[in-house]
Amino acid sequence: MEPDVSIETSSMIRVAVLPIGHVPPVLLRDYHSMLLRHQTIPLSAISSFYTEHQKSPFSNQPWDSGSLRFKFIVGGAPPSPWEDFQSNRKTLAVIGICHCPSSPDLDSVIDQFDSARRAYASALVDRCFAFCPGDSQLEDGSKKGGNLMLFPPADRATQEFHLQTMMQDIAASLLMEFEKWVLKAEPAGTIVKTPLDSQATLNSEEVIKAKKRRLGRAQKTMGDYCLLAGSPVDANAHYTTALELARLTGDFFWYAGALEGNVCALLIDRMGEKDSAVEDEVRFRYSSVISHYRKSFIQEHAQRVSPLTFELEATLKMARFLCRRELAKEVVGYLTSAADGAKSLIDASDRLVLYVEIARLYGTLGYQRKAAFFSRQVAQLYLQQDNRLAAISAMQVLAMTTRAYRVQSRASAEDSPSKKEIGSSLAEGGKMLHQSVVSLFESQWSTLQMVVLREILLSAVRAGDPLAAWGAAARLLRSYYPLITPAGQNGLASALSNSADRLPSGTRCADPALPFIRLYSFPMHPSQMDIVKRNPAREDWWAGAANTGPFIYTPFSKGDANTNTKQELIWIVGEPVQILVELANPCGFDLRVDSIYLAVPSGNFDAFPVTVNLPPNSSKVVTLSGIPTSVGMVTIPGCTVHCFGVITEHLFKDVDNLLLGATQGLVLSDPFRCCGSARLKNISVPNISVVPPLPLLVSRVVGGDGAIILHEGEIHDLWISLANAGTVPVEQAHVSLSGKNQDSVISIASETLNSALPLRPGAEVTLPVTLRAWRHVLADADTAGRSGSGGTVRHSKDGSNPTLLIHYAGPLTNIGDPATNKSAVPPGRRLVVPLQICVLQGLSFVKARLLSMEIPAQVGENLPKPVHIEDSPTEALSSPTKMDRLVKIDPFRGSWGLRFLELELSNPTDVVFEITVSVQLENFSHDHRLSGDRDAAEYGYPKTRIDRDCSARVLIPLEHFKLPVLDDSFFVKDNLPDGANSGRNSSFSERNTKAELNASIKNLISKIKVRWQSGRNSSGELNIKDAIQAALQTSVMDVLLPDPLTFCFRLSRYALEPENSSSHNSPNVQVHSAAAKGSVLAHEMTPMEVVVRNNTKEKIKMSLSITCRDVAGENCVEGTKATVLCSGVLSGINVEVPSLQEIKHSFSLYFLVPGEYTLVAASVIDDANDILRARARTKSSDEPIFCRGPPYHVRVVGTA
Amino acid sequence: MATTACFVIVSRNDIPIYEAEVGSAAKREDAAQLHQFILHAALDIVQDLAWTTSAMYLKAIDRFNDLVVSVYVTADIHTRLMLLHDSRNDDGIKSFFQEVHELYIKTLLNPLYLPGSRITSSHFDTKVRALARKYL
Repeated sequence: MEPDVSIETSSMIRVAVLPIGHVPPVLLRDYHSMLLRHQTIPLSAISSFYTEHQKSPFSNQPWDSGSLRFKFIVGGAPPSPWEDFQSNRKTLAVIGICHCPSSPDLDSVIDQFDSARRAYASALVDRCFAFCPGDSQLEDGSKKGGNLMLFPPADRATQEFHLQTMMQDIAASLLMEFEKWVLKAEPAGTIVKTPLDSQATLNSEEVIKAKKRRLGRAQKTMGDYCLLAGSPVDANAHYTTALELARLTGDFFWYAGALEGNVCALLIDRMGEKDSAVEDEVRFRYSSVISHYRKSFIQEHAQRVSPLTFELEATLKMARFLCRRELAKEVVGYLTSAADGAKSLIDASDRLVLYVEIARLYGTLGYQRKAAFFSRQVAQLYLQQDNRLAAISAMQVLAMTTRAYRVQSRASAEDSPSKKEIGSSLAEGGKMLHQSVVSLFESQWSTLQMVVLREILLSAVRAGDPLAAWGAAARLLRSYYPLITPAGQNGLASALSNSADRLPSGTRCADPALPFIRLYSFPMHPSQMDIVKRNPAREDWWAGAANTGPFIYTPFSKGDANTNTKQELIWIVGEPVQILVELANPCGFDLRVDSIYLAVPSGNFDAFPVTVNLPPNSSKVVTLSGIPTSVGMVTIPGCTVHCFGVITEHLFKDVDNLLLGATQGLVLSDPFRCCGSARLKNISVPNISVVPPLPLLVSRVVGGDGAIILHEGEIHDLWISLANAGTVPVEQAHVSLSGKNQDSVISIASETLNSALPLRPGAEVTLPVTLRAWRHVLADADTAGRSGSGGTVRHSKDGSNPTLLIHYAGPLTNIGDPATNKSAVPPGRRLVVPLQICVLQGLSFVKARLLSMEIPAQVGENLPKPVHIEDSPTEALSSPTKMDRLVKIDPFRGSWGLRFLELELSNPTDVVFEITVSVQLENFSHDHRLSGDRDAAEYGYPKTRIDRDCSARVLIPLEHFKLPVLDDSFFVKDNLPDGANSGRNSSFSERNTKAELNASIKNLISKIKVRWQSGRNSSGELNIKDAIQAALQTSVMDVLLPDPLTFCFRLSRYALEPENSSSHNSPNVQVHSAAAKGSVLAHEMTPMEVVVRNNTKEKIKMSLSITCRDVAGENCVEGTKATVLCSGVLSGINVEVPSLQEIKHSFSLYFLVPGEYTLVAASVIDDANDILRARARTKSSDEPIFCRGPPYHVRVVGTA
Repeated sequence: MATTACFVIVSRNDIPIYEAEVGSAAKREDAAQLHQFILHAALDIVQDLAWTTSAMYLKAIDRFNDLVVSVYVTADIHTRLMLLHDSRNDDGIKSFFQEVHELYIKTLLNPLYLPGSRITSSHFDTKVRALARKYL
C-alpha cells in the first residue's frame, strides 16, 4: 500500500529526489521545498523545450490548459512489483541534489549520481542539481556538461526561476519520452505482468486467454501514459478500449485498474470541478472499481499476494474524494470497511499505512477521537517494531492524539483558549455553575488517558527523548496518582529521575509533576508596617483612608465594593514579603522539592527559593518569601518548582480547578484531603501593587518588650524607641491612642517625636510615655484565682491594653513623577505599638468613714489662733521636720468638731506599701486679713506602712477646709429657686441641688491625694474618690462651713488697765506666771474675757451666757453650793456683734476650790436670718437658734 | 450472554460517568482498554448521528474489527448509553438500553446525585450487571 493516495494519484509522475554526497538535512528540506513549488508544470510553459520528433500519439493534448503533475519522493523508493499495473508507480525521473560546498569534487558527484540512478531502471530522465557551487566548480562544471546542472549562487528568486526552467526542461523531456513509449508500445503489445498472474506454466487455453488479455492490458498502460502526459481525452479513449477488452476476457483486476484510470481522466478533464453529477458518476464508477478488485481476489494466491491493498486503496481514494462534513456518514462507512480490511493485510507496514490514512481522513472529517483512535493503532504498530526510529514515530503520533484524549502537554495546549478562559473566570468568580465546572473536566476518560500517557512514556524512553518521557511521567503521576498503585508511583518517580539524569540541569518542562501547590494565605502586612492611604488634602492624612461617615455599612458603597471584591495589597520595593502555600504529596514515596519559589512573570520580584521534603501522603504549609524590586503590579500565578531534576511551573489556578472538580465528584481525589489537610476556602489572589520605598519605623520599648507589671494606680514612665529602618526619611508623624484604657496613658511626649522629624534612615528617637495603671478588673481576678495559683500573670493577654498608633509618612513629592494624580502620592504607614501592661491587684480599699473628735481647749492668756493657722507647734514633738506633718492641735483652742476621714486599706499583695496622704490647699487671697499667713502649702502627713496581707487605717484630718465666712454664697443656689419659702428651710440639705454639693465635694476630694509607694521605684495613687465622696456626702456642710459664731475664753492680761471699760470685774486681778501655762490660782480673782466672733456677713444680735462647770458637770457659779464666785454678768448679756467682727466681754471668776473647771459660752441668736437657720438646720422658723461654743478647760491650782 | 461487552454511560462533555465490563469473557486489561478506546472514538459518530434521527436507540453505529458499538441516546442528547459487544442480539440490546435508561433516571431523581458526576451507587452497578446477564 502507498501512503497519501487519491484518485488523482494515477496522473502523477513519480520523481525520485536523491541527495548526492552530503547534504545537510536543513538544506535538503529547503531544496525539496523549492522543488515542491513545481509539482504542477503547465503544458503551455514547456512548449519551448518541447520538440515534436514524430507525430505525437497524444492527439488531444490540451496544450493551453493541461499540465504535468509530479510527485517528488525524497530518497526514492524501491521498485514496486505493481509497476506494470499502474505506470504511476514507476519512478520515471531521478533528480539528484548536491550541495557543492560539502562535496567539492564534482567528478565524484557525477559518479555518485550515476550509480544512484542506476537503481531506477524505469527512470526516463535524470538530472543532478548542484547548488551553491564555488567559482572553480562553476568553471569546472560548465566543462563537464551532461546531467550536472549547476545553480550559480544567487538570491532565492533567481534560483527559483532557474529551478523552474530546469523543471520545465525535465517536464518536456518526460513528455517526449512518454510519446516515444506510447508509439513503441502500440504495435508491439508490451508484456505487462502483475504478481497476481500465475507463475505456473499456462495451458494452451490459458495462453490464448492471456494473449487476449494482453491487448487490454496494453491499452490500459497506454492510457496510464496518456494520463501522465496530461492528456485525459486520449487516456479516456485508451481506457475505454481497455475496459472493453478486460470485460471480455474477464480480467477483473485490470478492468478495475482501467476504470480507476478512467475516473481519474474524467476528473482531470473536468479540471477539478466537482458538481454533483460528477460526484455521482465517480461514486458509481468507484463502487464498481472496489467490487471488481474484490472479485479479482483469487484464493490460491491469498497467501502470497492479494489485490486487497488495491481494494483498500480504492476505498481510501473514494473516502478522500468524498471527504466532506456533509458526507460524513458515507465516508465513515468507507473508512470503517477499510479498517475492517486491516486484519486481512499480510504486511504490517501496509496496515500501518492504512491506519495512518484512515486517521488522516477522520481528522480531515473533524472526527478527532476517531483519528486519535487510529493514530494510537499506528503508534502501537510502530511500537511493535523494536527500533528507535519507530519509537520516535510512535511518540510523535501519540503526541498528536493527546489533544483528543485531553492529556496534552501544557506546552502544546496553549491554543485552547476556551478552557483557559473558564479557568480564569473560575478563579475570579470563586463560585461557578456546575455545568461550567464540568466543562473543565471534559472527556475525562481516565483509563484511556492513563494508557496513552503510559504509551507516550514508553515510546519516549525507547526513542531516547528524556524530556518527553519526563513530561509524560509527570502528567501521569500528577493526574492519575489515585489510580496508580504505590509500586507504580515509585516506578514513575524513578522514571522521572532517570529522565532527569539524562537532561541538562536547569531544563524546564511545561508539565508540572508533584507536589500539588495551593495558596494557603496571603498574609497582610503585620500591624507594625501597615500601609495607610494618604490623603494629601487633609491635615490628618490618615483619616481619609478610614470609612467616612457615621455608618459601618453604607448602602451607597455597595456597588462600589462589588466591582473590586478583590482585596488590594500593597508591597514596597525592597521590603521582604511572605506568602504561605500548602504543598501536598499524595503519593507513596518521599518527595524532595529541591527548590520552590514564587513565579512572578512581571519580573519585578526577587523570589527566595526554599527546599522542602515531603514524606509520603503528607502536606505542608511553606512560607515563600521574596522582595519586590521595582514599582508596578505584581501577579503571582503560581510557583516555580525544581523537583525530580526539572524546573516546572505550578499554577495555583490549576489546583483550584482540580479541587473544585473534587468537590463536584468529577475528579478522583482531592490531593490535599487525602493528605489529611483540611479543606480551605477559596483564596483569591489579591491585586498586588508595588510602591516605591516608604519609611519604616520600628518600635522598641526601652528596657525590654515584655509586659510591664504594674499595680493598680501605679504611675510608670516608659520609653519607646522608634527607629527608621526604611530607606526614606520620615517627614510626618502623628501619635494617637486607641484601644481600651486609653486614659491610663497620662502623657505622650509627641513633641519629642515631632522635633526629631525628619527622621533620617537609621535615626532613632526615644519617646517618653507616662502610664498610670488602670483598675484591676475583679472578674479577672476571680477567673485567675480559679484557674490556679499563678493567676495574676494572665491578664496581659486580654484586650485591655491601650495601643499607640503612630501614623507616619515619607516625603510627599514623588521622585520623578510629574503626573501628580491621586495615586501618585506615596502612602503613609501606621505603626501600632501595643503597650503591654499587666495590672496587678494593688492596695485594696475597704471602706471610708468620717470620724469626729472633740478635744476641749484650755483657757490661757492668749487668744487661740484661728482654726486655719497651724504654724506654731504647741505639742511636744521631737523633731521640727516631723512636726510639720502631724496634726497639730492648739491646746488653748482645742479641736472641737474636728473631723477625720478614716480610710481602711488592706494589702492583699505580697509587697509592702507605704501610704502618704497629702492635702493640697490653694491660697485664698481674701483671707489674709483674717488668717494672715495662710499658705497654698501642701500638707503632708507621716507615711503609713502596710505590710503584706495586712490592713491599716489612714486618718486624714479634714480641718483645713472650713470656709472663713459663712455667707449665702454656699446656699445662694438654693435660695433663689424657692424664694417664697425662704423663711422655712426645714429640709434644706435635701433641697440642695445635688450638682452644687457634688461640685464642692469634688473640690474637696481633689485636694486629698493618697499616694502609695512600694519598693524603690513603684509608686502610684489610690483612686478612692468615690469612696471619699460617699463618706463625706452627709456631713459635708459640717466639714466645709464654719459656725456662725465662734467663742473663745482667755485670761485677761489687761485686767488692771482702766481703759478696759467693759470690765465690770475688780481690777486687782493678778496674772500669774502660771496663767501663761494655762493654770489659774485658787482664791484669787481671775479676770477673764470671752471673745465672740461673728463669722457671717451680717450683724448678729444675741443674748450671750457663760456657764462654769466643775468636773462633775455641776454648774458651780449659781446655786447654793457655788464654788466659784463671779463678778460681772454671766448670763443674758445682750450684745450685738457686727459682721466679721468680734466683741469682748470681760468678767472675773474667783475659784474657791482648786481643780478642773469647764467654761462654756452659749448664745441665743435673735432675729436669725435664713443662713443661720440653714446652718443650724432648724426645723421651723420660730425655733430659737442656739449657738454653743466649745468647752474650755480651766485648771485651778492652789490649796483649798 | 455475550462474550465481550463493555457498557459505558457518557454524560455531558463526554465524561464517562459509569463504566462496566459486562461480558462473560475472561477479563484482560488491555482488552478492556481497547474497548474504552473504541467507545471513546465512537462518540464522534454518535455526535453526528444523534441529530439525524428521533429514535433513542441508534442501533449499531460503529465497529472495529468484530466489536460493534450500539448506542442509546437519552432525550437530552447529552447522556449516551454505549455498549460495545460482539453479539448481534439487537432486540436484547434494545431492551437492555431501555431498562438501564430507567435505572439511570431513577439515579437522577436522587437529590443527592449531582447530574454529570460519576455514578458510584453499587445498587445501580448490580442492577446493570443483572440486566446484562438477562438481555445480552
